Amino acid sequence: MRRSAAPLLVLLLLATFLALPQFLPRFHTYVAAIVLLTALLATSLNLAIGYTGLYQFGHAVFYGIGAYGTALTLTRSGMPAPVAFLVGPLAAAALSLAMGLICIRLSKLYFGMLQISLGSLVWAVVYRWYSFTGGDDGIHGIPLPDAIASPKGSYYFTFAVTALCVFAMYRIVRSPFGKVIQGIRDNPVRAAAIGVDVRLHQLASLVIAGFFGGVAGSLFVVVENSVFPDMMFWTFSLEVLIMCLLGGMYTFFGPLVGASVIVLLRVFASVHTQYWGLILGTTLTLVIIFLPDGVLGLFVRRSLPKEDPGA
Amino acid sequence: MLRVESVVKSFGGFRAVDGANLQVNAGEIVAVIGPNGAGKTTLFHLLTGHLSPDSGRILFKGREVGGLPPHVICRRGITRSFQVVNIFPRLSVFENVQIAVLSRERKTFRIFSPVAGMAEEEVHRILRSVGLFDRRDVESDLLSHGDKKVLEIAVALSGNPELLILDEPTAGMAPEETERCIRLLRKLSEESGLTILFCEHDIALVFEIADRIMVMVRGATVVQGSGEEVRRNREVQSAYLGESGEC
Amino acid sequence: MDSAANLFSTGTLSQILVGLSRTTILFIVSSGMSLILGVLRIPNVAHGSLYMIGAFAAWSVIQLLGGGLFGFLAAMLVAPMIVAAVGFVLERGFFSYLYEREHLMLLLLTFSFALILGDLVKIVWGPEYRSVTVPAFFQGSAEIFGLPLPWYNLFLLVIGPCIAVFLWLVINRTNLGKIARAAAVDGEMVGAVGINTGWIFAFTFVLGSFLAGLGGALIAPMVNISLGMDHSLIMETFLIVIIGGLGNMWGALLGSLIFGLTQSLGILVWPQFGIAFPYLAVVAVLVVRPRGLLRSTW
Repeated sequence: MRRSAAPLLVLLLLATFLALPQFLPRFHTYVAAIVLLTALLATSLNLAIGYTGLYQFGHAVFYGIGAYGTALTLTRSGMPAPVAFLVGPLAAAALSLAMGLICIRLSKLYFGMLQISLGSLVWAVVYRWYSFTGGDDGIHGIPLPDAIASPKGSYYFTFAVTALCVFAMYRIVRSPFGKVIQGIRDNPVRAAAIGVDVRLHQLASLVIAGFFGGVAGSLFVVVENSVFPDMMFWTFSLEVLIMCLLGGMYTFFGPLVGASVIVLLRVFASVHTQYWGLILGTTLTLVIIFLPDGVLGLFVRRSLPKEDPGA
Repeated sequence: MLRVESVVKSFGGFRAVDGANLQVNAGEIVAVIGPNGAGKTTLFHLLTGHLSPDSGRILFKGREVGGLPPHVICRRGITRSFQVVNIFPRLSVFENVQIAVLSRERKTFRIFSPVAGMAEEEVHRILRSVGLFDRRDVESDLLSHGDKKVLEIAVALSGNPELLILDEPTAGMAPEETERCIRLLRKLSEESGLTILFCEHDIALVFEIADRIMVMVRGATVVQGSGEEVRRNREVQSAYLGESGEC
Repeated sequence: MDSAANLFSTGTLSQILVGLSRTTILFIVSSGMSLILGVLRIPNVAHGSLYMIGAFAAWSVIQLLGGGLFGFLAAMLVAPMIVAAVGFVLERGFFSYLYEREHLMLLLLTFSFALILGDLVKIVWGPEYRSVTVPAFFQGSAEIFGLPLPWYNLFLLVIGPCIAVFLWLVINRTNLGKIARAAAVDGEMVGAVGINTGWIFAFTFVLGSFLAGLGGALIAPMVNISLGMDHSLIMETFLIVIIGGLGNMWGALLGSLIFGLTQSLGILVWPQFGIAFPYLAVVAVLVVRPRGLLRSTW
């Protein structure tokens, strides 16, 4: 990518997002907020899948736990709001660590499937634990501090947190740790041979991805004021995966692009049709056939080497 | 420095390594030769932790290393290059070596500093010593085969090893590249006193630079000694040197 | 005999039997997926959608031919065939062009078709629930060990092993089956010997789809035929196939047994969270034997 143009583009983007609520109607501001937090979610997933090469098929569970953690802290404990916004992501990170410890011994497809089954376990528990989590009703009308309860307030809060987190992930990806996990992705045998504890680094990457996924979940609570179990259902995990793929899994900003496209498409589709599945499915098919490196992949040459699932 | 005693490794019913013995002293260049399928690569995998021995001992500087994971063995001072080129294809030459250096310097968990200029001096030094400095920004996948193998060696060197294990370092190399490689190995041994263990099919090369040679046939050590001793050994002659060499 | 019967409460035993008949459906669908996974190496996320189409198609056939025994049996045959045809179109029309791609892509491709098929079902049949009643022939219950067991469940319990045996015969005793197994292990070699692997793969996918459709048709009288069926089943199927061993028919049976029984017993023991038990069992299996309980073809 043209080096000199990129920071300028980013600045332009930031300025645009900053100015949006000033001249957009309320609903569009809400959509923009959803775009932002979904972009954060997709970027966090990409840390695990695009940069570390782990088959993170159950990422939605961290999103959901982040959201539920924040929601439950706000509604049930007497604790102040800032604590709630820490509890969510930390719970997600802890879950990520726990799941990682169980799954990391497996590779590729098996890792993904075990993660999904653990995620489904969590989903099933949340879904049935009516007394604590509200079961399939979810939790609604979550109280928020005044500053961030209004549409504009929630938007700016979301924007600030998203920008901060994306920036943090950008730094991480450009750090020695970021390079090492990419090395692990491309050649774990070689990485081990140069003294890298592969499992430890993969675990760290999972925890970071889970943490930021949880942050996205907390932001959802701010924007939507409610949570529901389907946030962590596996179909949503695959949708986030699609966002990464669509935008370009081997670029940093790809998932942001992909998330924006999918969210906007979904909003548009929900207004005009009830066949979102058809639209998403067709889009995905086209992307897989014609744009395997994603939209941003057109600009940056990157593609997956063919691998076998259980190596 | 390295002592391998009666090591055995089986896969299913097949004994890939069946009683291998090896001794490498500090500063030596030792070669392992043997027909295809003799178990040389398996032995190397056992030495570097990619496989665990079923029985027998592997001692490095007096401590048992058999069965340890690869990254631990690397930290103990043994690094290797692989038979099939095994670099980080999407990273540049510079970055390949840089990762290895950063790993040795235990900086792999730094998440907030940009990696761009880190360890530059050290990486340049290593690249210069193997002759890859002018190609340092090339994506490593795009290098010639010979250069890739040299990069392998450079990456292995980045770990600052005491023992460097090379699995068929000149396989697939053109004659000039092989020459270059030989000179490099000689230089490393003489200038830094690096201990080198390698295996090869190129017998001429082996006799040229190895201080001692170990011969493996069907997973077992037949003989280990100087070039002359090996040449004179009857078993070796019949099993290996008597035939036309490569399989 | 009496003391043995006293060991179990009547509730447990009939729950086990119900669990076993549910296992039949799981097995039929999972064996289809296992076939596709083993031979074609496609993680077929659309398998659940095929199952759902089978259920809806069965409903349509019964609407057409009446709810008697004839209509029902016809549905059991015609619905899977419709699904097999859909499978044929999917495989030949789309999937076969992308076999060279890595598994992640294939998985996402089948997922995209799951999405498309899900909405196609909505378009063809509409969003409301459908239901099929068990034909008169199967209504009522039999007495097994002094406990009532619905005739239909008994029917399922009998059909399951029959299908297992039939599949085993096809895979191990027919030439087609042997070639398919060879293709699972080394597709290139089979092609090199002059066999048209394309038709082998198509046949395998069609058979797998047929099985999915059969599962859907068989379960139609027992559940509400609704639009979420594909999503709930596909996860279970995947997990069953993984814990059984990829591509292994007996593994699919074993996995189905584990899944079906832990679910039934789980609900008995702890009604609120019983549905979580199978997932727990899956986790336990994968932690101990990550590659599945039986040998996989991968």
